[in-house]
Amino acid sequence: MLKAYAKSGLIVGLALGLVVVCLVAAGKGQVPISPAEVAGSVLHRLGLDLGPLPSAVQGENALWLVRFPRVVLAVTVGAALGCAGALMQGVFGNPLAEPGVVGVSSGAAVGAAAAIVSGVTVAGIWTTAAAAFAGGIVTTFVVYAMSRAQGRTEVVTLVLTGVAVNATAGALLGLLMFMTDDDGVRAIAFWQLGSLAQATWGAVAVAGPCAVAGLIVSAVLSRRLDLLALGERPAQHLGVDTERLRITAIVVTALLTASAVAFTGIISFVGLVVPHLIRMAVGPGHRVLIPASALGGAIVVVTGDLIARTAIEYQELPLGVLTAVVGGPAFFWLLRRTRERAGGWG
Amino acid sequence: MTTDDVSGTPGMAASGVSVALGGRTVVDGVDLRVGPGEVIALVGPNGAGKSSLLAALAGDLAHQGRIEIDHRNIRTWKPVELARRRAVLPQKAALSFPFTVGEVVRMGRAPWHGRPESADDEDAVVEAMRQTETTGFAARPFPALSGGEQARVALARVLAQRTPVLLLDEPTAALDLRHQELVLRTVRERSAVGAAVVVVLHDLGLAAAYADRAYVLAAGRVRAEGPPREVFTAELLGDVYQHEVEVFDHPRTGAPMVVPRR
Repeated sequence: MLKAYAKSGLIVGLALGLVVVCLVAAGKGQVPISPAEVAGSVLHRLGLDLGPLPSAVQGENALWLVRFPRVVLAVTVGAALGCAGALMQGVFGNPLAEPGVVGVSSGAAVGAAAAIVSGVTVAGIWTTAAAAFAGGIVTTFVVYAMSRAQGRTEVVTLVLTGVAVNATAGALLGLLMFMTDDDGVRAIAFWQLGSLAQATWGAVAVAGPCAVAGLIVSAVLSRRLDLLALGERPAQHLGVDTERLRITAIVVTALLTASAVAFTGIISFVGLVVPHLIRMAVGPGHRVLIPASALGGAIVVVTGDLIARTAIEYQELPLGVLTAVVGGPAFFWLLRRTRERAGGWG
Repeated sequence: MTTDDVSGTPGMAASGVSVALGGRTVVDGVDLRVGPGEVIALVGPNGAGKSSLLAALAGDLAHQGRIEIDHRNIRTWKPVELARRRAVLPQKAALSFPFTVGEVVRMGRAPWHGRPESADDEDAVVEAMRQTETTGFAARPFPALSGGEQARVALARVLAQRTPVLLLDEPTAALDLRHQELVLRTVRERSAVGAAVVVVLHDLGLAAAYADRAYVLAAGRVRAEGPPREVFTAELLGDVYQHEVEVFDHPRTGAPMVVPRR
């Protein structure tokens, strides 16, 4: 029973941690605002006359026009990536799988780059985001369709097909960068680095509902994902329609990742490292893993973005680079540790 | 055996079942029935089609012919309905994430989720773990167990499912002498309270001791069917295994014993 408390404790702890991180992150910037004033500002907008209002000149505007959309988008994107990672690992039955494996990230990058290079503006300022989203979804389904044989999807085939697709997407990106001018190259490069600098309430309004829908469906799937750990056949013997479970999970992963990536570019390793850490803390059960990974992912991205925009004055580090710098070595360490514990990958 | 007989049989029944894998017929026109309270053993040499037949009975393999459970073609059951009627022990237990032993056994209760039977979840898990002597490592991660311990945990999961039909593929393969007996004794206890059990066994001695009837398979066909005492003859087994064997009665219990001629 102690374990049950640890599990719900972790969720509550992560939720509180996320609130604190958000209050701090929203206060940091060229116009400093204390966390108490940030909380006060939110509460006042909610109609509660509690806490102090920002005392700084333009404090309210800085919060509501610039910082909040950015923090909320960071929460959305982080939760989407963390959840997508946990989901994908569950579906593949492989702790090393991540949304990038099925080609969502690279497909989205090709979509975005194609929009940048071609100069098409069908969807106005949303063109790049929309193209990224479309690219990610299309790529995911191409991978899935190609890796199906005799009505089933072999995990190894799927992963290897993902590798091939990623390589192809890399080639297309290179070609697009070659075809465009210097401005285009810069735009593509920055988009690939990943950043929340473009955050607006409009982006939140698109990415938010996608993330919420994805999180809800993931939570519904969690019990069946546990059974999938036994293998395809044993899960079927326990009454799981595994084929339908896989398709649903893959659509949800594609939706979560593409909607996140579309507004921020590629932010790597969040979907890989966060579920690993959660699993180490409370075990692999998806009913805790999925919400905890979403919360953990949100904390990581909000914190990462805070560091990215405050570490160097008047300069912004690319967030994707920051997460990769931390995430890459962390992944190495996780690899070795997990391997020792499990006695090999089997 | 006619189709009508089959449809009138409780438990599980198969008639004219054939399975082709990679263009080769591995199960060829098998008729089989198992009623409540009965343990039947599938025996035969490697490649005889024992596991393929069991997989077909489990609904894993596309097959010709008719397989029924509870008087209904298994193709017409929904996966979860089937999961409440039969449990399957695979030959090899695998787990992709380090769930604890307790969590793995509890997975056997999944088909009953949201139904009145889920009130028995705790009871079923405790009983299954006691029967397989796995209670002691409930909190340990499954991948940290030895092969034999994992096999018993896998069986506990299947027992916890509490289905009227049990399909077991070599439940004793990874086990020592004591645990082989423990497992088959547990299987018998289950059949004593009404379960219909189909078990693939390599050890003819175990089959003779624990099965009510044995199906001797060779090249995908049933060569003989009946109580082990009647079908385990030196002539038939020698022919099927392509190795001469001696069959004699145990001096104390009288159970047939099969020994290869050396």
